[in-house]
Amino acid sequence: MIELLAPAGNLERLKIAFLYGADACYIGGYRFSLRANAINFSNSELKEACEFAHNLGKRVYVTVNIVLHNKDLEGLKEYLEELASIGVDAVIVSDIAVIKMIKDNNIPLEAHISTQASTLNAEAAMFYKKVGATRVVLAREASREDIKDIKDKTGLDLECFAQGAMCTSFSGKCVLSNVFTNRDANRGGCAQICRWTFDIADEKEPFSMTPKDLNMARYIEDMIDIGVNSFKIEGRMRSVYYIATIISEYRKIIDKIKMHNLKPSDILYSNDIMNRCANRESTPQFYDKFPGEEEQYYLGREEVSNQDFLGIVLDSNENEILLEQRNYFKIGDVVEFFGPNMEPFTYTITKIYNENHENIDIARHPRMLTYLSDLPKMSKGTMMRLKVFDKNDYL
Amino acid sequence: MTKNKNLILVTNDTLVEKINKECQESSNTFLFPIENFCVGIPKTFKLEEITEESLIFINRLLDKDGIENFKVLLKNLPKNIKGIVFDDIGILNILLETKSTLTKILFLNHANCNYESINAFLEYVDSVVISTDITTEETKEILKRAKKPLVVYAFGHVAIMYSRRTLLSNYNKHFKTNIDNEITLKEGISKEEVKAIENIYGTVIYTNNPFNNLKLRKEDNILYNLINSVYLHDEEVISIINSESDMSDTYPYKYLSEEETIYRIKEEKI
Repeated sequence: MIELLAPAGNLERLKIAFLYGADACYIGGYRFSLRANAINFSNSELKEACEFAHNLGKRVYVTVNIVLHNKDLEGLKEYLEELASIGVDAVIVSDIAVIKMIKDNNIPLEAHISTQASTLNAEAAMFYKKVGATRVVLAREASREDIKDIKDKTGLDLECFAQGAMCTSFSGKCVLSNVFTNRDANRGGCAQICRWTFDIADEKEPFSMTPKDLNMARYIEDMIDIGVNSFKIEGRMRSVYYIATIISEYRKIIDKIKMHNLKPSDILYSNDIMNRCANRESTPQFYDKFPGEEEQYYLGREEVSNQDFLGIVLDSNENEILLEQRNYFKIGDVVEFFGPNMEPFTYTITKIYNENHENIDIARHPRMLTYLSDLPKMSKGTMMRLKVFDKNDYL
Repeated sequence: MTKNKNLILVTNDTLVEKINKECQESSNTFLFPIENFCVGIPKTFKLEEITEESLIFINRLLDKDGIENFKVLLKNLPKNIKGIVFDDIGILNILLETKSTLTKILFLNHANCNYESINAFLEYVDSVVISTDITTEETKEILKRAKKPLVVYAFGHVAIMYSRRTLLSNYNKHFKTNIDNEITLKEGISKEEVKAIENIYGTVIYTNNPFNNLKLRKEDNILYNLINSVYLHDEEVISIINSESDMSDTYPYKYLSEEETIYRIKEEKI
C-alpha cells in the first residue's frame, strides 16, 4: 500500500485534498491536537469528514499528539471512544499514556506514533510496535539508511514526511516557544521562535536557524523501494490552494511511478510548481546527506509571496464557468486551470463577466463571482492560477 | 533529617574530586555523559575515565549507527557502572531485550508531563525524570501518584532546543566567521538571552539562567534530585549540594514552574 497523506485544517481543505488525490487526511479535533490555532474539527465535523472519506474509500487520521499535562488527561478516554464511534481510522499519538489508554480500554482505534516521538532507529520503532502501535511517523532527521533499517527490522508501516516546513529542532525536543512567549510548543501553541533572528556579541550578522522546506519529490521512487508506505504532506494551517497544488503534484508523481513512466522532467516541473506555491525553497534535507549550510536560511523568515492563485471554480457548464476570485486578474492574462482528474491547460482571458453577466475588464474584488466563457466543462473545485511555468519547456 | 539524594551530571574534570572532598554529609551519585553519545555538554567521558560507582548519561537521539554503537558500549560497560539515564526509546528496547540489570532511568526530555505517562513507562524502567516544562503543582501531583520514586530536575540550565543540525558551524561557513562552539544568543526584540552549544551530533540551546527547582527536594517519592552542572562553577554546585535552603535569593530563575503555559487560542465547540 502506498498512501499520499494530506493535511487538512478544516472540512473545505479535507474535501479539496481528497478531490486532488490524497488517499488519507490527518486532521485535529478541538482538544489534544498540536495545531491549536488551526480551525480544526468539531465532533460533528469529524463525523462528516469520516463519512466523506469512507464514501471515497479513503481514510482519516486524527491527531491526538500533544504532550499531555495532568489536567489534559480529563476527558481523554471519552474523546478516544468518541473518535472510535465516529469511525476514525487511526489516531496519531506521541504520549504513551494515549496508547495505554486505548489498549487498557480496548478502544478500537489504530495508534500511529507521531513524529513528535522523534523515532530514528529500529529499536525505538520496535518498542512502539510492542506497545501496540501499527505505524510510526519517522523523525524528519531520519536518513535513507535509518529508514531502510527500521523497515527491514520491524516490518512496521512507515510514514515519512515528503513535503513542507521543517522544525529546526527534533520535533518534540523544543520549548523555545514556551520560554520566549509562554506558548506551549508541545501542546499546539508553537510561536516558531526558530524563525526569529538573534544577535551574537561582536558579530555583525544576525543568527538564524530557519531551515528550508523539505521536498522529497525526486526520492519518492527510492523511498517506495525501501519500504515507505505513506508520504505525508506537512501543513494543517495551509490554504486550499497549497493543498491542491502539492497534493496534485505528488499524486502525479506517485501514479507515474506506479505506471513506470516517471521522467526527470516531470520532477523538475513539479518542483518548480511546488516551490512557487510554498513561497520558500525546498530540499531533501536529511534523506540523502547531512544537511549543512545550504539547507537553511540566515535572515529568519525568507518568503517571497505571490498572487498566483486567481480563483476556484464553483460551477461549470458546456459554455462557461462560475469562478470565485481569489486574486486580481484581468483581460489578457495567461492563466492555467488545474484540477481533479484533468491535465492542466492554458487559457488566455479574453472576456470576464461579473455575476450579473456584465462585461468587466478586471476582477479586482476579493471573492467576487465572475464568469469566464469558451472553456470546457470542469469539476467544481478546479483552480485557476497564473501561468508561470510551461511543461513543454521541461521536455 | 533525611539526606538529599543528589544525582550530579558531571561536566568537567575537577567536580568529582571536589564534591567527594567537600560534600561528605550528603548522598551524591555521579552521572557521567558519555563521549559520542551526548549533545550540549562541553565535556564528555570515556568509560575508562570513570572510576567511581556511577551512572552514565546518554542524551543523543540515536540513528542506525548510533544505536549499533550503543550495543557495543553496553557490552563493554565496566562493573562500576550501575545505571543509565537516557532519552532514546531505542535504548530502552535494547535494555529490555538484553534483560539488563542496570538501573534504568528514562529522561525523555520535554515529555513525561503527566502521571499516566510516567506510570506507563515505570512498567519498563526503574525511574523517570519528571519534565521541567510543568508547574510545581503538576510536579507534586505526579510525585504523589507515581508508582515508583522519581527523579526531579532540581537545579541547572535547561536544554530548551535540540537540533540535529550544526547551526553554529553553518553560521561560520555562511558568513565566513569564526564563532566558538559555545556562544550566547540575544533575541532581537526582547533582548532575552540563551546559550547555544554544538558538537558534531547537533546543537543544543539552554536557558541563560539555571532553573532553581530546589524547593522540591524534600518532597516524598524522590529517587534523586538531579543537578546539571553544565555552565556552573564547581563552587556553585558544591554550595547547592551543601545548602539546606532553596537558595532562591541567589538563583531566582523559576523557568516554567510558576506559570502554566498556554496553547489553545480558540474556544472549543463540541
